[in-house]
Amino acid sequence: MFSSLILNQLSRLTLSSASKLSLNTRNISSSAVVQFRITDQLCAEPLKKKKKVDPAIIKAREDRRRKKLEKQIRKLQKNARQLKPIEEIEPPLHLMDQMGKRKRPPVVLSAEETESRALLLKEWTRYKKQEYMANVAQIDRIMAAQRRALDMLYEESEDLYNEAIMPDLQLVPCSFTSTFSTPPIKNYESPDGEYIDVSKKWGTK
Amino acid sequence: MLLRKLIGAEVTLSYKIISRAKSSWDIVAGVCVERLPVVTPPLNEIQQKFKDLLWTIETEKSLKSDHELRHENDKVQAELLKNEAVDVDLDAVSKITAQDFEDAATDELTQFKFADLLTDADKKGVKSTPERCLQRHLILVTEQKLGKDAKNILPQGLWKEGETLRQTAERILSEQCGSGLKVKFVSNAPCGFYNYKYPAEINGKLGAKVFFYYANYNEGDVDKKSKPNWLTRNELTELLPEKYNRTVQSFLIEETN
Repeated sequence: MFSSLILNQLSRLTLSSASKLSLNTRNISSSAVVQFRITDQLCAEPLKKKKKVDPAIIKAREDRRRKKLEKQIRKLQKNARQLKPIEEIEPPLHLMDQMGKRKRPPVVLSAEETESRALLLKEWTRYKKQEYMANVAQIDRIMAAQRRALDMLYEESEDLYNEAIMPDLQLVPCSFTSTFSTPPIKNYESPDGEYIDVSKKWGTK
Repeated sequence: MLLRKLIGAEVTLSYKIISRAKSSWDIVAGVCVERLPVVTPPLNEIQQKFKDLLWTIETEKSLKSDHELRHENDKVQAELLKNEAVDVDLDAVSKITAQDFEDAATDELTQFKFADLLTDADKKGVKSTPERCLQRHLILVTEQKLGKDAKNILPQGLWKEGETLRQTAERILSEQCGSGLKVKFVSNAPCGFYNYKYPAEINGKLGAKVFFYYANYNEGDVDKKSKPNWLTRNELTELLPEKYNRTVQSFLIEETN
């Protein structure tokens, strides 16, 4: 009886034999009280204890950080009023020097000239207004034509209508070229020469 | 009451569906290919006048350029030379005066040959190429067989089951005008509508409903067998049937001056 109990307990130490012996490997047994116990296998280690820091040192550290920040803020506030000049919009100095030389004599317009200019300006305004009204009417007309086409399509087939009102994603990005003032020359080879880009690079380095 | 409303809605809906199912019209997609102007159209009188005015004001308000300063300096030096002033620095007198430079530049400009605004097609009166009337909008018109007779209208063709109308339009264009023609369709939606009746019923269809798609011409040539013509607005009015022309021009930008 006792020997079997011992075997029961020690079998846990040799796992391979335990499985072979098919003995009870758990600590539950129907026999007398088991006195031998083995500690559990945890497969882990206990947590490290947290280091305790003196609260005074922490406070000192915090203070130092705050002071540093405050100093930076003060420095920024002091310079807030000062604006940094933008190099690319400053007029070149040599041009400023020649200002007197470069000024044209002031133009004195005759009364007739002033009048004709004012009249032309008024006429131009009227012309532009008419042009604008015509443009708006034109856009209305084109939109109405499309609306009608879509309505007719809806009457004919709802599926086709639903396809037609889908946005066309191929159009993004979209680019158009404008007109030229003279027609392009076919197979034109521009004269030889070197292209040197002298424009300065602006912006952050 | 509610029930009656519901039934009413149901009835109208089913009526719509039935009427759609046995639609007695052919669905046709038409393509309106437009070549936008290449060269800026000429300014009209008031535009020209106002442009001149702006130019004068701009000159009046401007400062003198380097070239003008050089020209003035040349004049002063020449004056001094003439008077045989003692303190003329001969090195300072430039060998090439500003006037010389200006003359040379003008010479070069006059020698440069700009392309002619009238292209070869314009001179010969050929309308089958988009390289004509560079300052105008041009619309592609091809010959279409409608029943027995052929008509000069925009390219069009029957919609097939299973494709969207936009796909129909693209297919028709490449079928009729060749794949060399490159265009850009600008919408999935049709921009215009036109319907006409057949003289007699064909396969139980009364007529055709044409949905126009708008596209911009990019490059390439149109297949000659479709007898293409690139026409300005006025030429369209002359060639197209009256009602058809009105429909087409209703979704096109009007040409001023």
